[in-house]
Amino acid sequence: MSKPVIGFAGMTHLGINSAAAAAARGFETVCFDADAALIAQLKSGKLPVVEPGLPELLEQSKSRIAYTADVADLKRCGVVYIAADVPTDDRGQSDLSGIRALIDTVVTGLGGNAILVVLCQVPPGFTRSLALPKERLYYQVETLIFGRAVERAMHPERFIVGCVEPDKPLPQAAHTFLSAFGCPILPMRYESAELAKISINCCLVASVTVANTLAELCERIGADWSEIAPALKLDKRIGSHAYLAPGLGLAGGNLERDLATVCWLADAHGTDAGAVRAWMDDSSHRRAWPLRTLHGEVLAAHPKAVIGVLGLAYKENTHSTKNSPSLALIAQLKPWRIRVYDPVVPVSSAAHPDVTGCASAVEVAQGADALVIMTPWPVFRDLKADQLARAMAGRAVIDPFRILDGKTVASAGLDYFTLGVPPLRDKKR
Amino acid sequence: MLNHLNEKPINPARVVVLGARGFIGRALVAALQQAGIAVMPVSSADLDLTAEDGGDRLAAMLKPDDAVVLLSALTPDKGRGLQPFLSNIRMAASLCHALAKVTPSHVVYFSSDSVYPMRVGLISEETCAEPEDLYGMMHLAREMMIKSATKSPVSVLRTTLVYGAADTHNSYGPNRLRRMARKDGRIALFGQGEETRDHIPVDDVAGLTVLALRHRSAGTLNVATGCSVSYAELAKKVAALFDGPVEIVGAVRQSPITHRHFDVTNVRKAFPTFVFTPLEKGLAKAHCEMMEQG
Repeated sequence: MSKPVIGFAGMTHLGINSAAAAAARGFETVCFDADAALIAQLKSGKLPVVEPGLPELLEQSKSRIAYTADVADLKRCGVVYIAADVPTDDRGQSDLSGIRALIDTVVTGLGGNAILVVLCQVPPGFTRSLALPKERLYYQVETLIFGRAVERAMHPERFIVGCVEPDKPLPQAAHTFLSAFGCPILPMRYESAELAKISINCCLVASVTVANTLAELCERIGADWSEIAPALKLDKRIGSHAYLAPGLGLAGGNLERDLATVCWLADAHGTDAGAVRAWMDDSSHRRAWPLRTLHGEVLAAHPKAVIGVLGLAYKENTHSTKNSPSLALIAQLKPWRIRVYDPVVPVSSAAHPDVTGCASAVEVAQGADALVIMTPWPVFRDLKADQLARAMAGRAVIDPFRILDGKTVASAGLDYFTLGVPPLRDKKR
Repeated sequence: MLNHLNEKPINPARVVVLGARGFIGRALVAALQQAGIAVMPVSSADLDLTAEDGGDRLAAMLKPDDAVVLLSALTPDKGRGLQPFLSNIRMAASLCHALAKVTPSHVVYFSSDSVYPMRVGLISEETCAEPEDLYGMMHLAREMMIKSATKSPVSVLRTTLVYGAADTHNSYGPNRLRRMARKDGRIALFGQGEETRDHIPVDDVAGLTVLALRHRSAGTLNVATGCSVSYAELAKKVAALFDGPVEIVGAVRQSPITHRHFDVTNVRKAFPTFVFTPLEKGLAKAHCEMMEQG
């Protein structure tokens, strides 16, 4: 069989990355979005998302990519992926109206034998609930990671595919496409695949919660989590890729969505979700770590303190600020002046009455009584401790993600606070 | 978490303080007066909230633009049994009766961290309230009674161990330790004083309450400092305030060691510029006041 044309409906972060990977694997790719302005932007080479490696990947495959706002252009596709954003509310509940509307639109342009694949985060039961011929309807788990989306799309660990009849072979077009990535393909029933996605995220959150819980204990008893985590990763039952870096709670929206889904499903079906609720509590507790540290170390003694905040995005290498710990912190610092820099996110994202946007990380430190590194952007690793010591008015460097070397910072006469270890203070003072 | 109905602080027209002659009540009345806020102090001598007509008499005192603070309670030193429980519920019922007749601008209820179980070492407002005795159950019941009795915004302030020279309760904390040291030159601990607790000076409690009143805050807040110390450490700090030597002695432990810490993030969020009095400073102030009292 000749290679099928692959369609992607919804030019979201997920849709663009997935389309780029399909094209890079040698498939003709149709990128559809009803938003004509967005399509025009993509045609001109301007991306609406920040993702390392994505512009290059699109550039090298551009001869195989067609952007369109006309749903009829999907007619020639053998497989069409639905890649809509599924927004969540403050409680992590999904709004599925957008994805349903997109599916309704796409169906009108679908070829007679085309396969439709839902690639979005949806609650278990969603795919089966769609009033579409089930033999042509599939669900596929996406494992997009902001900042590492290209690598994940090009080299997936496996494909998890939800089907109406998992014992039957996949349609040829879908099989040809997925086989091109050279990883295992795991067909299973719709609900299993939908819950597999959630299960993966639950395992990640469980690992992070372990790290957070024990890292906080390290901070109080004189242990160092960075010494413990490598030992755990050598344990085969845990693994070298385990998520064991302590953090500032869940952010980005996707993990929160899955935990909320497990809770309401468990409540509806009478199963126990106590552990999941404990993970959510831990997330909320750790999110406030920078605020607690600032109050304990700086704000109580300096009512007019100036706070430098580095980073606004919820994580490095992304423009996304969904549930960003940085924005959450800034919202609680209204009585104080703050100075802010993020390589991508504009200062206007920070809701604060007295915020100054700076052009660089060093400029943020100028005159600051405390410097808080809230997003682990790689560029912040270039900061020099002695430079900070000269620039800052105060001594507190709060670096939850260990962007800087704590000992060097303390040696420069600063007090260093990070997750998982007691504070390192300047011994000379 | 508290939500402020007044984003910018505004003095309430008048604050009616029920239980104004108690330990916290006196401090609160003083803090309100110092802030220039009109106060109507009401003590049990003025109004018996356990009486049959307590609710009607209270309703007659209240104006719609009042803020009402309920501090009146029989504290655990008066007993933790059924009778104090019923009396305390009766007091809250009188307030609820009055609130059904008059809707004040704001209600503040002084609850207690006794609504939380001792098996939880770190407490926040999200911790499930599961009282372990009638005293804690009384506070939880009163919280629910008041919240369901009025359309007014209600602040529930769950206080931890409060200390100050004027405290008459003599429960196991800075006040009793100081009195023991002064009277006997000796502080007797339970076990070796391993338990950790959070002790807040009464002036900080009053200060936070004034803020809640001025912001017309609604919701639940734990009133604690976020810094817990063991009783052994506390005893050393108290002993150090005396000129002469104070012996600190342990005893054979009769009950399991328990700990209580508070995550005060919500206090930081509600009142970001409020600064807690450091324990050493608070103890020193209470010590000086006690010595001045003679």
